[in-house]
Amino acid sequence: MAVAEKKLSRKLEELHKRIRADLPWEPVGPTPMPDIPDLRSWDMRLLKTYKPFYAPFCDLCCLCTYGKCDLTGGKRGACGIDIATQQARMVLMACLMGCSAHAAHGAHILEVLIEKHGPDKKIDLGESITIEAPHIRTVIGLKPETLGDLQIAIDYVFKEVGHLLDSCHTGQEGSALDYESKALHAGMLDHVGMEAADIAQIVGFGYPTSVADTPLVDMGWGAIDKSKPTILVSGHNPATSTELIDYLREHKLEDAVEVAGVCCTALETTRYSDRAKIVGPLSRQLFFMRAGIADVIMTDEQCIRTDTPQEAAKTGAAVIACLDKAMYGLEDATEMVTDDIVKRMVDNGEQFAILDSKKAAEVAVKVAIELAPKRRKEWLTEPEAVELAKKCNACGMCEQVCPNLLCIGDGITEMAKGDFAPIRKLFNECLGCGKCEQECPRDVAIFKLMQVAAGNETWKARSGRGPIMDTEIRTVGAPITLGTIPGVIAIVGCSNFPDMDDIADMVDEFAKRKYIVVLSGCSAMVAGMKKDADGKTVYEKYSPVFEAGGVVNVGSCVANSHITGAAIKIANIFAALPLRGNYEVMADYVLNRVGAVGVAWGAYSQKAASIGTGCNRLGIPVVLGPHASKYRRLYLSRKEEDDWSVMDARKKEIVDTGEPSPEHLAYVCETKEKAMPMIAKLCIRKNDTPQGRAIKLNHYISLHRKYIGGGLPEDLHLFVRRDADIPLVYKKEVRAHLQEIGWQPREPVGLPTYIGTYPSKIAIDSVIH
Amino acid sequence: MSAVLPRHRVNILTGTKSARLIEEAAECAGYIKKAKRPLLVVGPLLLGSSPDGKLLMDYAIDLAKAASIPICATAQTRGKLVEMGVQPDCVYDAVEIVNALKDPDWKGVKKEGNHDLVMFFGIRSDLGSQGLSTLKHFAPHLKTMTLCKHYFPHASYSLTNFRKDAKWQEFLESLIEELKKGD
Repeated sequence: MAVAEKKLSRKLEELHKRIRADLPWEPVGPTPMPDIPDLRSWDMRLLKTYKPFYAPFCDLCCLCTYGKCDLTGGKRGACGIDIATQQARMVLMACLMGCSAHAAHGAHILEVLIEKHGPDKKIDLGESITIEAPHIRTVIGLKPETLGDLQIAIDYVFKEVGHLLDSCHTGQEGSALDYESKALHAGMLDHVGMEAADIAQIVGFGYPTSVADTPLVDMGWGAIDKSKPTILVSGHNPATSTELIDYLREHKLEDAVEVAGVCCTALETTRYSDRAKIVGPLSRQLFFMRAGIADVIMTDEQCIRTDTPQEAAKTGAAVIACLDKAMYGLEDATEMVTDDIVKRMVDNGEQFAILDSKKAAEVAVKVAIELAPKRRKEWLTEPEAVELAKKCNACGMCEQVCPNLLCIGDGITEMAKGDFAPIRKLFNECLGCGKCEQECPRDVAIFKLMQVAAGNETWKARSGRGPIMDTEIRTVGAPITLGTIPGVIAIVGCSNFPDMDDIADMVDEFAKRKYIVVLSGCSAMVAGMKKDADGKTVYEKYSPVFEAGGVVNVGSCVANSHITGAAIKIANIFAALPLRGNYEVMADYVLNRVGAVGVAWGAYSQKAASIGTGCNRLGIPVVLGPHASKYRRLYLSRKEEDDWSVMDARKKEIVDTGEPSPEHLAYVCETKEKAMPMIAKLCIRKNDTPQGRAIKLNHYISLHRKYIGGGLPEDLHLFVRRDADIPLVYKKEVRAHLQEIGWQPREPVGLPTYIGTYPSKIAIDSVIH
Repeated sequence: MSAVLPRHRVNILTGTKSARLIEEAAECAGYIKKAKRPLLVVGPLLLGSSPDGKLLMDYAIDLAKAASIPICATAQTRGKLVEMGVQPDCVYDAVEIVNALKDPDWKGVKKEGNHDLVMFFGIRSDLGSQGLSTLKHFAPHLKTMTLCKHYFPHASYSLTNFRKDAKWQEFLESLIEELKKGD
């Protein structure tokens, strides 16, 4: 026993040294650098109400040589695992992949920037941001002051990832709930890793910060001057694309060479140079490569197609793999002489990995300039497309393999008759995976045909602005927690949308209702790819400030941490609750008092799984598109049967509220129409004032009427506490309805919290500000 | 489907618990009639029209009426049902109704106990397939059926892949007629 205590004490001592616990900016809370079990009781409390809902994607476990093991019909695998625990294990693995992708991105960027600026480079996010790293402060307990300090956060993430991945080995964890707790841990770590990565980028690359009104940048391949040499940067890591911009600037080539980005590297690059162009989200990647517009394709990491070298070769474009995470089996030319590489690429069509960003940038520019005049960049004309489309015999094979269940053949056959409207609609719904063309027995050039349909339209996107400013938080903190700003809607992530237009529609719907709408990643691009009747995108129509009715693009995937960070800032700056090593209190505050909802409508990746799961641990519900049921796990409540008790922290009494707010933590909607009222409903919090609740219910009812129809929402009575909660405009109708079903008023809870309703070291008074 | 399973299944092919294929309307009607507490879950794909102009939701309504089956409206189908003069017996979204159904103690739509047969009709195939997988694995107390025009292996009973919508509609019409016949 004495030995154990001594070990614990030494561990704590070491930890306090690393986080500089003696610096008195805040007292160190109960869980700095939490280990797996430290927040387990919080997780279990969440999972008691929001139980895991598993939809197995596969009946088997194929992970070890005991198997394959059939897990149907209640059977266990050779190691003893059951189907639910296997799903939870797969979810944890997905979260670990996602978390590792962001943290490794952060580690790489830090290495590059520390090499460039030194570890003592100060973190300065401008005069409007003093809480520079809410996640790192909350989770790690450290106030990072330099780039070197961010390394402490990344090291912690990797240590925990190792432990978590260990638990996925055959024959260990046997509880689905414990795997879920571990997945929630991985999700939390992800937001730390993302935050470290983006702060490093902002500081090291001089991205905009402490400013809302960032430049509007051009988007769409019509914005690219195809007569110029064109370089496509693809992926998520801006280490090379920033060097590329620097090279062009230094050599006064910015006017001569086009730089276009796809997926998050596009967002990163436009934060560095507003002259760079955004091609579009991930779903446009293969289209753009096959269009042959790019003379050079530079890949970095994450969400880059694994067949980039093969696809580029088809159009004669050059490829440079710029990061070790995806080297495609290419020869590593990092140590080769630049001019030799250029010659071999131009003369022989060779492709290389070049892991020195400066060299990769120089090679890319030189190759693009030499290669461009030799390449043809001609698209099909409409009459040519009509002829090609006639090859299609509408066999339906394309539909069978389409992840978005689209009947491409219908569009092609209409095109053969000269009607391009159906294929244009399909193009908006297409995920750009290319499976249809691969499957087509008649080798119809579906992608080429779609390019004709896609046209050359251009749009505007606001470049990413990084963290929400402390000044903005001070302004909106009260109205958000009181409910008079009805919610913060974060529309984030990938582009596996049922329909691309859904995103702009959602942004427009909630911004005009004076919610705060925050965007990131591919969703941030797609939001700008629809124009209203006046030809304006949502970025041109709404304020870029984090305020009621604002539409805010925070940046790429790693900038998602600023959205969740804003929720923590509300607890810390507005409510003055200490955040240092105090995750449980922050999460409890967000869950019970901050009406924020994540919408990952097009989520496809493991990164989206970890980002969403990190939101969930912090108390932020996430709405997903229908295909996201393939993630295997949701967190659902059953509103009329689950326990909705909370502690009233002021009275120190447990109150059975009967109010399912927020109703779910991870939820799949089949359609945009269903998602609209669901998003509004998930913004409801027990902390809402009567005025705030009335505003939220007004939107819930009105969105329900607009998109679902058939009268009032069937569960409305659960969210009306007193008459004052009923929106004025629906007063008569709602009162009549409530009377009819025998509704009884109940008192709102003064200060709702989960603390005190489950075993925790946190004192109830800790949540009182 | 292969009729032959490899001898050493563990190495090659396991976990293929697939739906029984229903090709005859009478057989389908038989399963529905046999159920004590069936439920029909309708999805947004029924808001579309068939080539002959008939709304797919009409089939669902006729079917529910023919066998007195309660209707659960998912997504935005509630509004359309009400507009068509039908008040759904309950409103849940797809994942919510699956979540309730997998609880053997759930009282069901009529508060008479959980259902013993649930029919899904008009839910997108990715979401529908995942929901059926949930029920296959976690709701042994329940049989599931799909009435969509494609084969869903995770169901207990599924229709086949209809190459032509007309054939599918023919099947649905026959099914309704069979159900009207009563026990």
